[in-house]
Order: sequence, then C-alpha cells, then structure tokens
Amino acid sequence: MGGSRVAITGLGCVCALGPDVPTCAEALFLGRKDRVAPVRFEDSYSPTSPVFQVASPLPAPSRWLKHGVSRTNSLALAAVREALADGGLTSSPGSLRVGVCMGTTVGSALNSTRFYRGYLDRKEPDMSPVSRFLSNNPALFIAREYAFSGPCQTVVNACSSGTDALGIGASWIAAGICDVVVAGGADELSRVTYEGFASLMVTDDEMCKPFDRNRKGLNLGEGAAALLLESEYSWRMRRKPPRGFVVGYGAACDAYHLTAPSPDGQGLRQAIAYALETSKKASAEISFVNAHGTATLDNDRVEAITLHEMLPGVPFLSTKGHTGHALGAAGAIEAVMTMICLEKGRIPASAGFSVADPQLPANPNASTKEIVGSCALSESLAFGGHNSVIVIEHSND
Amino acid sequence: MTDMRMVIKGIGVVGAFGSGIDALATAIVDGIRPPLSTAEVITKEGTGRLSVYRARTEGLEEFFAKRELRRIDHYAKMALLAASLALKDAKVSGQRQGTTGIIVATGYGPHRTTFGFLDTFVKEGNNFASPTLFASSVHNAAAAYAAILFGERGPSLTVSQLEMSVSSALLTAWCWLAEGRVDSVLFGAVDEYSDVLGYCWKRYFGVQETSQAEMRPLDFERQSAIPGEGSVFFLLRRNENQGRYGCIRGVDMGFADCGRIDLPETDLLFLGADGMRETGRLYPPHLSGKNNFLCHAPTYGSLPIGPAFDIAIAAHEIGDGAYLETNAEALPEKTIGCLKIGRQGEFSLVMLARE
Amino acid sequence: MLKDKLKAMLVEELNLEETDPIDIVDDEPLFGEGLGLDSLDAVELVVLVEKYFGVEIKDMDEGRIAFGSINSLAAFIEERSSVWAAAE
Repeated sequence: MGGSRVAITGLGCVCALGPDVPTCAEALFLGRKDRVAPVRFEDSYSPTSPVFQVASPLPAPSRWLKHGVSRTNSLALAAVREALADGGLTSSPGSLRVGVCMGTTVGSALNSTRFYRGYLDRKEPDMSPVSRFLSNNPALFIAREYAFSGPCQTVVNACSSGTDALGIGASWIAAGICDVVVAGGADELSRVTYEGFASLMVTDDEMCKPFDRNRKGLNLGEGAAALLLESEYSWRMRRKPPRGFVVGYGAACDAYHLTAPSPDGQGLRQAIAYALETSKKASAEISFVNAHGTATLDNDRVEAITLHEMLPGVPFLSTKGHTGHALGAAGAIEAVMTMICLEKGRIPASAGFSVADPQLPANPNASTKEIVGSCALSESLAFGGHNSVIVIEHSND
Repeated sequence: MTDMRMVIKGIGVVGAFGSGIDALATAIVDGIRPPLSTAEVITKEGTGRLSVYRARTEGLEEFFAKRELRRIDHYAKMALLAASLALKDAKVSGQRQGTTGIIVATGYGPHRTTFGFLDTFVKEGNNFASPTLFASSVHNAAAAYAAILFGERGPSLTVSQLEMSVSSALLTAWCWLAEGRVDSVLFGAVDEYSDVLGYCWKRYFGVQETSQAEMRPLDFERQSAIPGEGSVFFLLRRNENQGRYGCIRGVDMGFADCGRIDLPETDLLFLGADGMRETGRLYPPHLSGKNNFLCHAPTYGSLPIGPAFDIAIAAHEIGDGAYLETNAEALPEKTIGCLKIGRQGEFSLVMLARE
Repeated sequence: MLKDKLKAMLVEELNLEETDPIDIVDDEPLFGEGLGLDSLDAVELVVLVEKYFGVEIKDMDEGRIAFGSINSLAAFIEERSSVWAAAE
C-alpha cells in the first residue's frame, strides 16, 4: 500500500439497524432491541436461532432483468444507490473509470432448495432459479446497472469478503487501474448458510453476546454496504471532499484449519501489523477497533487476546449484536459503522455484552464513550483462516 | 489495458488431457482431443447421456499423504494438484522466499459439494446437515486448503466472476505484486463438473448424442459445447528476469457491447469461444480483418475458467519458442492475446509476451 | 457390536482411508493423539451419532464427555438410547 490514502466519498448501508446510513447511525447508539422477526427462507423453514433480517422494502434495478433479481443484489443495489448519491456520482462520469468490487457468500452459489428438491424428485423443476443465479453475479450486476466499465470483481472470501473488497478496491486505485471503485458487500439470509452454521454448533438460540462470558455463538444477519472509493485526482476533479480515507489494509492466513481460527491469533497479528505499518499509524493513534466479534467461543477468545497484545488499552466493540453476522456483507457494514463512529466522535456499547469473561484479557466497550483521534481499525476473520484488517481515517475537513 | 509485468515462473494444469503442462502441450501439438467421459443425466424423458471432459487427481498422491486429503473434495483436489505441479515446475520446494499470496478464480465454485451439503438436509427424511460438507462448500475452501497444506500465511483471495473470474483475479494479483504486498502469487483457477450441472446443461441445450459429441467453437453460431472441469495454476513474480514462460504484460476488461474491442496487434490471438452459441456469436464482429486466431477449448472443454488454460498454452508457446499448432519458428518478439467474451457481453483480454 | 459399528462408522464417514476399524483401540483417545480427530470431526460426529444412533448431543460440553474414546462413546449411547441400551 505504501502509505497511499484512498478517499471515501460516499457511504451506503442497509441492514437490520435500518435502510440507510443515517437511520443506522442513530439506531447504533440506542441499544439493542430484541428481534423476533419472521424470516424469508424459501421454504417457510423456521429457524430456532434468531436472525437479523432486513425489513425495509428494497429498490428495483433500472433495467428489466429477464430472470429477476436476487435478494442479495436488491440489498446491494440499495446500498450502492445510497453511496453513489452520497458521493454525488449518479452515472458513469465521462472519462473516469469506475470499478466494482463486492464481497458475498450467498450471492455466489446456487442455493435454491426448491429447485434442488424438484431436481431430486425428478419433477422437471422450473429453471428460473438457475437462470437467476447465472445472471445475478453481484459485482457484474452493479457494473451493468450503472454502465461502469472498470474492473469488476466478486470476492468470495467467506466472512472477510466485505473487508477484503474494500482493501482490494483501494489497491486498484493506488495502482492506477481505475479512478473510482464502488466497494462493499452484500448477503441475504439463506436456509443453506443457516443450516451450515447450525451444524457447526456455532449459533446461539438466543440473541448473540459478543465477548460475553455466557456467549454461545452467532446469529446470522443480512444486509449490504458500499463505500465509494476514489483517487485524489478524481475527487478533486469532481470537487467532492472525502468523508474519510482508507489508509491501510492487511490480510494474512492462519494456515491452520478449515473452520477453527489459529489459537495464537497468528494470522490476525500479521494482518494488524501490516495494516498499521503500511498506513504509517502507530497503535497509539488508533481510537478504537470494530472487531469481528461473532460471539463464538473461539473467535472472540482469539480476537480479545490478540487485540490486547497488539493494541493494549484501545477500546474495541462488536456491532454484530445489532446486525447479526451478515457474512460477505459484514466487513463492509462494519466499515460504514466505523466511519459513523469516527464522524460522531464516539463509540456505542458493544451490543450483547454484559458479563465479563474472566478468560479474556480485555472486555469490549460497555457504554457510549467519546473517542480521541481520527483513525480506527475494522477487522474480519473468515472461515479458512483468513484475517483482514482495514484502517480508516476520518477526514479532518 | 492495464500494463503490467508478471513473470510466469511455473505452470501446473489438470484436465481431461491429463496433468502437467507437458501433457497439455502434447495434446495441442498432436491435435489430440482428450477422451470424453459419459455422464448420466436423468430428466423427465428418462436417462440421457452427456459427454464431459473429466479430470483425475491421482497425481496428488505424489505430494500429500492420503490422510491429509481425507476431507478434501474433488474441486479442491484439482486445485491442489495443479498448484503442486506449478510449484514443482517452478522448482520451488520447502522454504519459499518472501511472502506468497494465494489467489483462486472460479466460475461456479465447489457446486458438487454444495449440492452434497443440500442432500444432507433437503432430501426426504434427512435432517442431518453435515458441517464438513458445509465448510467445504464455501468458495474459498480450495484457497484455504492450499494455505494450510503449503504453509502459506500471506493474503488469500477467491474470486467468482463467471467467465471473467481469471482476468479479474489477475488484476488483483498484479496489484499485490506491484505494491509489494507479496513477493509471489500462487495464482490459480478451478471449476468442476457435477450431476446438477449436467442436468442444467440438458435442460438448457437439449440432448447431445454422445457418439457425435465434438466441440466446434469456431462454428460460432452453433451450440457444440461440452462441459469440462479442471484447474490451472501459475507461480507469478514481479521483479525477476524472464522465466521459462515469459510474462503476462497486460489485462484489459470491459463490455463488448460498448463498441468494438480494441485488439492490439499480436502474433496470435486465442479465442475463448467454447462452443456456447450464446457467447460464440459475440466474437465475429470483433475479428474482421484478423486471421491469426485459434481456439483451444476442444482440448479442455467448456468451463468459465477456460481463459486460464489459454494463458497456460500461450505461456508455454512463448517459452518454447515455437507455435505449438504449426511448429513454425516463433518470432522473438512474439506476443499472444487471450480473448474471452462472457454471457452479458463482458470481455477480457490477457496479453502475454516473452519479456 | 455397538463398538464395532462405531469404529466402522468413524472410518467410513470421516474418510479415515488408511485406518482399519479393527485397529482402533477401545480406550485410546479419539481426539488429539490416538485417532487424531479434530474440532470439525467433533461436530460431524455429533450429526453422525444422531443420524445413526438417534442420540442427541446438545453441546460440546456433552460432546467432550462422549468423545473421549470408543468406550466412552459407546457408554454415552447406551445410556441414552433404548435401542442400544446395554444388556442387563
């Protein structure tokens, strides 16, 4: 990264907290409401573990799509639309090359249980779920909606996809491949991921409690977020002052196990170190950390231990108590949350935390607190042992 | 076109033609179409047969003990075999110098395992979702296994961009090398066949008489695609003298319906046409006036990561100093372009050259 | 009988290709050393025990008790299953 700063000129977000950034920003500080919402799983399956669903209506694309739009892409569109409006970029602007980098998990697989059951029963099922899947690649969907002709990439790095998409988008700009990147992530609730996490015995049948002594696991969520990333040349030419900057991105593998994080937090350590070094920020300059904080026993333990070692005394919190774990969208949603907190100059309590875990060397932030400084970290730890960390700085202007 | 210089230090390939870059080169030089497997596809009409280019992974036993591979599915095995062959080809073993990033491009991901996972709770009477199958059904499983088995702790990326997966991922590989994030990229692509894919093939394209199955991708208006599976891996570096295979010198991406694709002058142009009528017909408007194009899909089949095979063939040709197809003496400044057009009109062009 | 079934199930379902069920020792550890299974095998085993023996393992605290060895797993199932209850 070489210390180059990539501007953030627009934000968009839709998740359980709200349909847009201002609503999410307000709700983030209001404490958590218990959620018992109906779910939209395809075959009216009722999960036992709470899920954080998006209740708001979602926009339709401007062009007609023969096989329809996936829910993942509708979520993506809502977030991207808001980010572009916020950034004052409503269509492909002349000479600027605009790329799209979106993280997802559900959006990249054919998950239709209805189609699959019809296939198994030899009932000649309707092919539209397959056709819809083939025509709904998230990054391509956004690129075609807005006629963006720059590079197009759907990142499928499991739970770190959102953070990775931001880091990669920033790398593209720093390398001069394009001027602007719509970067973020989107994922809808799905029975398939629900069954998967439940089978791994990492879900909680009650509301999740990140970093809490009595935590039992995660709750799934859905949503999308997008950040408009720009080169200095581009935002100066457009006279659009940045809201903030991506100043560093670190990513490293544990190379340990397919599902369990490395107990010594080796990969996370490396990612944090690289992110800080390349952003030229010392740990003392970091105001807070938006942790991955899924509320699983393993994840929270590894994170708390590693953060305590790498960034002692720096407050950390998980926002998944407000949003659930939105998989490919999580890192992007959390980057938006991080920007919101930097702009407000304060961080909320880590939702779901109430009892300290004596096995953890540090506890998350327990009440709304003013923060000092203009820089924060947001991190994501993925299945397969990938650890991603992004350093975000608030604009002083 | 994004200019770059990524030196190709090693190549590993797995497909119906066998495994290893020499096996692929031999198939091209000798004009051999690999043997086709026959898959059964059950539709309402009954049991039909579909020709498929299938890949085998027994070669993996040279690199890993069976116990290490016990949970690893066919998709990840193809990737691991191609990656191992690439590292062997690059004469890299044991401690590697510097940091290595792992990048995997896939069109459809490990769908056979995805459906295997669905089997465990969707089938009548089944309510026993398998966590092992779920963990392996996540698209980045191959990259994760590569990191674990090769002991690589650098950054990892898996890209799913349909026919543009390879080219899109190459852009990020370049960025990582250019910014010094990594010293090498173990870059690969993998796609597999499954019964569900075969079923969808039948539903979309109808019956295909296996005895007459033959890919004719240069008959652009004809549906002659045969599904394939396989994997290709490269070891890429930046600041290095020319390796055996030359370099990737540029990647261009865009939309073919925004005007004619700007095809630079190259000695050869490899077309990613693979017998799919929907995309085949998109090539001719961009080819008028050109007669130096070839199509290699009949050697490896129709699959979204096809461009990776074309890049491997191009790299081998540049390295070998001979046109594989004609055995003619190559010009020293030989350049090869690999063009792929996707279903929604998106295109990619990857340029290779000796230096 | 139950122990033989358990050993066969482990080898088959966890794909322990190079292990013969006969060679699994009744009291050797299943996890860590011994058979060398890991955390992913543990959750898979929970599903398998329910699927093949109808016995539910509610969480990994219970799992830890059950999965010590073939002996402990057989005892766990016998205690909870009417079908596999130990002979009087």
